[in-house]
Amino acid sequence: MALGTETLDRSRGGMWPWLGQRVTAVLVIVTIMVHLVLTHYIAIGELSFDNIGDRLAGGAVLVNDIVLLVAVVYHALNGLRMVVLDWGLASSGGRRVFDAVLWLVGILAIVYGIWALWVWVS
Amino acid sequence: MSAKERETANVGAGLWKGIGMWAWMLFRISGLVLVFYLFFHLWVISQGRVGGPESLNKLFETFDKPLLVFLDLMLVAAVLYHALNGVRILLMDVGVGIRRHKAVFWVCMLVAALTLCAFAIKASSFILG
Repeated sequence: MALGTETLDRSRGGMWPWLGQRVTAVLVIVTIMVHLVLTHYIAIGELSFDNIGDRLAGGAVLVNDIVLLVAVVYHALNGLRMVVLDWGLASSGGRRVFDAVLWLVGILAIVYGIWALWVWVS
Repeated sequence: MSAKERETANVGAGLWKGIGMWAWMLFRISGLVLVFYLFFHLWVISQGRVGGPESLNKLFETFDKPLLVFLDLMLVAAVLYHALNGVRILLMDVGVGIRRHKAVFWVCMLVAALTLCAFAIKASSFILG
């Protein structure tokens, strides 16, 4: 396996988090580029409440931002989990609590983000 | 920690030496920075609903400073580095370019650098005034 890219992500973190990290990576790359080009390139210097509202009114950008929100929250917290596991969180009980906390934080962040976006939808 | 143990503890880095080590370290650091920024960003955007349009516009005015636009550009750099090094990892996962992994790395970095240039040119008038 000298040339393989076998990592602890797969062996220690579990297969599903490993796969989830890659699937969300692809989703984030696509949606974050749309997000960056629209807000940090085209609308640079013009950001305001109304400017954001105009962009989200199209619907497509709203879908892009929600996909980005869900994928990036998963990717961020799963990445944080990889870092913590790499530096050692040995006890399985501790890991279960840690995983539960990450899921809770992630779900709350996604709900909060969509709640925040909805000011431009309603 | 001995060198051998360190290699074992950070298999994600490949061998703990050379470009791969720096690529991996920068990947982790940029990832961690972006995790913190993500939550800050969520808080900022939510002010449009928490405090209303005026409070969000006020925040945007606060951020409209050359130093902060520069830091924003650095975040774009962190995203681009993390994304393109991530593309390299995905390519390795599916077995593309393993035997030319250094070339793949530098091509990815070139794409990241060129994209950053486009953002930097656009942001320059806000940074340099």
